[in-house]
Amino acid sequence: MDVSRRGLLAGAAIGGGLLVAWGLWPREYGVPLTPGRGEWAYSAWLKLGRDGVLTVAVPQLEMGQGVATLIPQIVAAEMGADWRQVAVEPAPVSGAYANLSLAAKWAPLWMPFAPALADDPRKTIARRWAGESGFMATAEGTSLAAYEAPARDAAAAARAMLCMAAADRWGVSWDECAVRGGVVFHAGKHLSFAALAEEAARQTPPDRPPLLPAPYSEPAVPGGAEAEAEVPFRRLDLPAKVDGSFPFAADIRLPGMLYAAIRHGPIGDTELLGYDEAAGSRVRGVRHVVKARGWIAAVADTWWAAERALEEMAPVWRTSERARSSTIEERLDSALLKGEASRIVTRGDGDSALGTPDVTYRYDIAPATHATLETASATARLADGRLELWLASQAPAQAKAAAGKAVGLSADDVVLYPMAAGGSFDRRLEHDHAIEAAVIAAEIGAPVQLTWSRWQEMVAGRPRAPLACLASAWTAQEDGTPVGLRLRVAMPATVREFGARLFGNRTALAARRVYAGEGPDPLAFEGATTPYAIANVAIDHVPVDVGLPTGRMRGNAPAYLAFVVESFIDELAARVGREPLSFRMALLGADPRLAECLQRAARLAQWDGGASQSGNGIACWRIGDPAGGGPVARIACVATARPGEGGVRVQRLAAAVDLGRIVNRDIARQQVEGGLIFGTSLATGSALRYEAGLPTVSSFAGLGLPTLADSPEISIELISGAGDPADPGEIGVAVAAPAIANALHSATGLRLRRLPLLSEGL
Amino acid sequence: MTALTVNGRPVRFDIDPQTPLLHALREAANLTGTKYGCGVGDCHACTIIVDGEALRSCLITVAEAEGRQVVTIEGLSPGRTHPVQQALVAEQAIQCGFCTPGIAMAAAALLARNPDPSPSDITAAVPNLCRCGVYPRLVRAIQRAGRVARRVETINAAPAPGIDPGDAARAVPAMDRGA
Repeated sequence: MDVSRRGLLAGAAIGGGLLVAWGLWPREYGVPLTPGRGEWAYSAWLKLGRDGVLTVAVPQLEMGQGVATLIPQIVAAEMGADWRQVAVEPAPVSGAYANLSLAAKWAPLWMPFAPALADDPRKTIARRWAGESGFMATAEGTSLAAYEAPARDAAAAARAMLCMAAADRWGVSWDECAVRGGVVFHAGKHLSFAALAEEAARQTPPDRPPLLPAPYSEPAVPGGAEAEAEVPFRRLDLPAKVDGSFPFAADIRLPGMLYAAIRHGPIGDTELLGYDEAAGSRVRGVRHVVKARGWIAAVADTWWAAERALEEMAPVWRTSERARSSTIEERLDSALLKGEASRIVTRGDGDSALGTPDVTYRYDIAPATHATLETASATARLADGRLELWLASQAPAQAKAAAGKAVGLSADDVVLYPMAAGGSFDRRLEHDHAIEAAVIAAEIGAPVQLTWSRWQEMVAGRPRAPLACLASAWTAQEDGTPVGLRLRVAMPATVREFGARLFGNRTALAARRVYAGEGPDPLAFEGATTPYAIANVAIDHVPVDVGLPTGRMRGNAPAYLAFVVESFIDELAARVGREPLSFRMALLGADPRLAECLQRAARLAQWDGGASQSGNGIACWRIGDPAGGGPVARIACVATARPGEGGVRVQRLAAAVDLGRIVNRDIARQQVEGGLIFGTSLATGSALRYEAGLPTVSSFAGLGLPTLADSPEISIELISGAGDPADPGEIGVAVAAPAIANALHSATGLRLRRLPLLSEGL
Repeated sequence: MTALTVNGRPVRFDIDPQTPLLHALREAANLTGTKYGCGVGDCHACTIIVDGEALRSCLITVAEAEGRQVVTIEGLSPGRTHPVQQALVAEQAIQCGFCTPGIAMAAAALLARNPDPSPSDITAAVPNLCRCGVYPRLVRAIQRAGRVARRVETINAAPAPGIDPGDAARAVPAMDRGA
């Protein structure tokens, strides 16, 4: 790692100084839940009422992925509750819910000077930092890894407390009591959770929570008709979502609240020069205009009036270094061919002893937008020195602190009410809109609801980073098997740039400049060594500032790396006329579970060998490292696709997935289905082009996103496997694009090496 | 003032008559179940039913809605009882839920005129954008809703809100203080 002298000095001071201070800080964060009347909090995780309602606090953002069901399900199963008695509420920002798994993984982002001190969730510095900062971000598929164990502990402790209360009444020993369906039993006697709620809350749980022998694992349905089977733990959020009563951040209504719309200047170094104030003020219902260096907001009685006022005001900007696609492509091109690379990882001898590669192909990926249905929205109220925020955030502690800082308040003077997100795909790891809403509320002296227009979501979102990659292989003479693989990737240091925004509270421009050309970004290369047993692997990053701020996106590194690697592997097989499934199988000796996924996906799709013109293509990937311990997700997918009218026509995706132990099979299935469709949208569209600092498309219509009519037929086999439960949300995204590209090669004979696939033409 | 009927009630909007109905409903009437996704008719998240027809409320002005019968997701049924609502929950054809009200309204308008739609009828009538990817479940859910509408199947997947604690206690032993 590249450590500057300044960084080392700061590191020594902080490392030494804080270690001492941390020793004195409280290690417990209390119970951040507020029980209602007739309700008792048992811990940070759950409350039980005399009406028998068991409310589980969920410290992760619900953005569709089902976490607001999964965590309550873990509690209910461990506690022996009846699913019909379970309710859910979002947990407030608190150190009691520190996401230690993610804190360790992201140590290079929040402690760039010495990440090794905190790269394990058990290390003290990671625990203290995550606790003190209330770091409970929802990202990287860490929800179960971080929260299953503490939720089970809390539930087991509560179960013991309920048994103690019942045992007191009966004069028996508590550990002889049994719990089923929310009722405590002992030798023919029984008492409900409702009856015991108050007395149990006063019990002291045993030091070690009496956990059930094994964590909950949902059994597979025999006979393979799982999609039709009854779901044992139904999602808790769906009834409210189907009648319009489920509130998002833009559905909050406060007394005296006004509506704000916003315009951001073009991407680059932007400054507001002026606007037509008179024209704006003529719009009926307009109340205020609020300006900052890089944006201007209008505030009105309705959002539409605010938006109209901005149109009339026609703000004028001075912008240097405007983002443009031609510049992005030139810089990637130049970096790829001439730039100085840093080696991220080496396996075997890397490329040192191999000489000139036998084959090299180039792959390109365009910037891609998340296109969440819900645009950035936040509601803010500032009164009596306290800022209240209604916000959907994947990193609420950081959003809260940043919004407070913008209006001169400490994080302690900010209350964040966690709202669910209308889709995120990692878009809600950014919180510019929270800062803007706070600034507007402070300036106008009234509660305000800021909603970005769709166009603003395009302008000021943070697209997935573009990249260019040279994939090279050294192959065995006899059968074309790769013995060496090198990826040389030119792309922005996108994860470090994101970290500077999230943890350093830098603006997009400042964050981009911090890392322009400054060393590699290993977190952007997770899993780059591939699942394959290739003896020598070298992964090189050429960091390049493309003049466009970039961010995280569902699938992250696995999504773009799988496209490159799985397209390339297909090419290596085709080069020597080998069948792509068996070519992969031969390289998977070290990962029999992934090989099993390939075989099952092939069976599911009645794989024909990907023969010429069949339109069938195959790809596989895994997220997680079997050697490193922890959860591993594996998938193989057969796509059937053809060039169709106006684009790629994906007819079918058949996938076999191994997620280790599965907590909720229907949610896992939902996530894999959704991931495959999100991956399809990245294969067929989602790309942004830029001219003069602005995207060339202004709404969904120009993005080529799949609709119901374009949606492929999807079949999924969930393989029951042992091991820690892996996140089901990202693995489908990774595999879709290469499977579709390989299918198109089979259909047309053309190899599409650019995402989205159509941008090269068919 | 523009007068129309919203969810069976007479409503008068004292608002710029050029305001899209979407924003009149959301910001003036506080009917926030109808969602803003794009404002230009691409995403269909704002679909409502106007005189029996599924329309995008971002493309109709308040003035154009004068005198018409408007139904929003809040008025689709009492207590989530519409077959489409029950079927969407039963099939778990919902993830983040932001596009769901628009999908429910589009599907409800379809079933009102064709309670036995083919898959292609459904794909034609439901152009709504969903980024979470519930598409693989939608055709099945809407056909199932059709069977409920035709009274060949019943579903009880989404309970009505506001269940009485006494009723809950009678149904769920864990919630019965006397048990």
